[in-house]
Amino acid sequence: MSTDPTPSTAAIQVRGLHKHYDDVHAVRGIDFDVHSGEIFSLLGPNGAGKTTTISILSCLLQPSDGDAWVMGHSIRDDSMAVKRAIGVVPQEVALYPDLSARENLTFWGKMYGLRGPALRQRVDEVLEITGLTDRQKGRVDKFSGGMQRRLNIGIGLLPQPQILFLDEPTVGIDPQSRRNILDQVKEFNRQGMTILYTTHYMEEAQELSDHIAIMDQGKLIAYGTHQELVEIVGELDRIRLTINATSDRVLGSWESTEGVRRISAEDGTITLMVDDSNAVLPRLFETAAQADVRITHIEVQEPNLEAVFLHLTGRALRD
Amino acid sequence: MEHIQRALDIARKDLTRYTRSLFIWAMMIAAPLLIAGLIYFAFSGLGGDGGFSVPATRLHVVNLDQPGGQAAGFAAGTLLLDFLQSEQLSELVQVTVGQDEYSARAAVEALSADVAVIIPQNLTDAVVGSAAGATLTMVQDPTLTIGPGIVKSLLAGFLDGFSGSKIAPQVVVQQLDDRGIELEPQTLQGVALEYAAWATELGRSQGSQEHPLISIQAPPARVARQSTLAKLAGQILAGQLVFFSFFTAASTAQSIITEEEEHTLARLFTTPTARTTILGGKLLAVFLLVLGQAVVLTVVSALVFGVQWGQPLSVALVTLGLVVASSGFGTFLMSFVRSTQQAGPVLGGVLTIMGMAGGLFTTGFESLPGFLDTLSLLVPQGWALRGWKLSLAGAGASELWLPVGVMLAMGALFFALGATTFRRRLA
Repeated sequence: MSTDPTPSTAAIQVRGLHKHYDDVHAVRGIDFDVHSGEIFSLLGPNGAGKTTTISILSCLLQPSDGDAWVMGHSIRDDSMAVKRAIGVVPQEVALYPDLSARENLTFWGKMYGLRGPALRQRVDEVLEITGLTDRQKGRVDKFSGGMQRRLNIGIGLLPQPQILFLDEPTVGIDPQSRRNILDQVKEFNRQGMTILYTTHYMEEAQELSDHIAIMDQGKLIAYGTHQELVEIVGELDRIRLTINATSDRVLGSWESTEGVRRISAEDGTITLMVDDSNAVLPRLFETAAQADVRITHIEVQEPNLEAVFLHLTGRALRD
Repeated sequence: MEHIQRALDIARKDLTRYTRSLFIWAMMIAAPLLIAGLIYFAFSGLGGDGGFSVPATRLHVVNLDQPGGQAAGFAAGTLLLDFLQSEQLSELVQVTVGQDEYSARAAVEALSADVAVIIPQNLTDAVVGSAAGATLTMVQDPTLTIGPGIVKSLLAGFLDGFSGSKIAPQVVVQQLDDRGIELEPQTLQGVALEYAAWATELGRSQGSQEHPLISIQAPPARVARQSTLAKLAGQILAGQLVFFSFFTAASTAQSIITEEEEHTLARLFTTPTARTTILGGKLLAVFLLVLGQAVVLTVVSALVFGVQWGQPLSVALVTLGLVVASSGFGTFLMSFVRSTQQAGPVLGGVLTIMGMAGGLFTTGFESLPGFLDTLSLLVPQGWALRGWKLSLAGAGASELWLPVGVMLAMGALFFALGATTFRRRLA
């Protein structure tokens, strides 16, 4: 049952959104607003419910409960108006491999209602934006992964949408292509496009976003600007270590070391949240030496979103 | 209008993709034509001008017949030998003449003859005299079947004439006796001789014209053979056309699953295009592709194999029924398939079994059990084949209402079920 949204300038308003499949709860009653003209990131590990949320907002899935309004249109009651306002870039490359780049863009342009000269002009523009003008006649299955990703994004740009949904657009590509995509996203936003971006890369959310919502297990566990979120963990530093022995030989003694607030071990790496890394590090080395354990790698980081996630969930933000 | 335009855009996109698929071309056009072509050429001697032929049988004949005085110059053994050595039979048998039974057996054992015939001493006596019967002895190479069979048939045909000469006098005596007339033995012998001469002449004249055995060797005129082959090709192609139409329809309906796996279907659902339009466009592509296949196959087979599919309206009606039935069934079948990996075995298995039930692979066989005919009516393939057979036989539109009507009804039902299942699944 949908209710009218609170009057606001928000491009997207999400209220009490639920999605469950039989016993599996993918999204558990989330609320957030995305303001016009901003980049908003949904950050969380795989399986957190980010893709389900973006699928509901793009009217691909029906919510089990709750509603959302995109440019004032209910996703439940006016899905066509919602679809006309958005461009969607799915997580997977969704292209026709046996068609050329131009043929793909032309077809998808038609699906967005473009025709004739306007369609041809827009296809040319998008080929230019994605840097594929020279390869426009090439079959997509002959493209590199990076080129396919760029074309995948280009299709989302075809309707010149007010809001662009980008679902993990940098998964599985090389660093250079990733850099290009992040720069493009910032450029789209500079041109006035509102962007809803999902990622499990903390650095991407940190670099791009005006606001970030952290999701875990279908729930929104934190929301705010990067600064606001970092303040959640206070002034804690993060120390990441690897040792030449099993972690249980030192974990107990490090946990009780003065200045250590939280400790976790995963895949051979030990992560500690500490008040002051300069003060704590000598104590850690001393305890390790007593246990005849050698520290083989050490990394100190100031508070960031990963620390926030660790602080809130007790788990690292990993794939 | 916008909905129709977008459905056409989707169909055009799908058709473009199909035309770039070698698999689709192979299964749609090449395979049915190739299969029909192979069968056609196998039956037509690979395009040569002759039918099949057998080598002449080497026949060793020993004539021991000794006509008595009562035969008045008539010698059955000599007649038989002349018959076997006649020009008309020279392509069937190559005759050598021996002196005694020993030479006959020796020729066969030495493999210098395939068959040996020993004409008994009392043959003439059996034909025109008092002897009750005579036995011709045939010795043959036990590894051979066709050659000895031919010789045996030739002998049987010739000796039938002699049997007639025994029966003819008896009939004459009986009929005259009924009228109270008695005949002299010489007169009866004359009747027998006259009959034997007539039968011999008849055998010769038949041999020179259209002897049943010789008809194997000399097939009907070329035009007639082509016509028969064209009919055979029509029957075979009708089966192939129906089978591959259903195969093409199911393969292309599979594109919905392919798009699911390519993630493009989900993306389509995020565009401002209605789901019914998307599904409609995809199914329109299936319909158009099967229609194109049917048109290409019927036209090419008419040009290459000389198949006369029937009256234009009948062909159009059966084609329409086939396209609707196969598209509907393809959609229905694929709506239950979860992945393209699963699609292959399901498609091959179900369509082959239904094709067999529909009689698609036995179109050239005349004497099949009756229950197979009944079974074929349970599947749309059977009705499609029935429609094509009627059209091939020259049936008019009014005679096709039943198979075409059943095809349309089955197609519509399957289509509705398939579309409903897909819509539920993709909701």
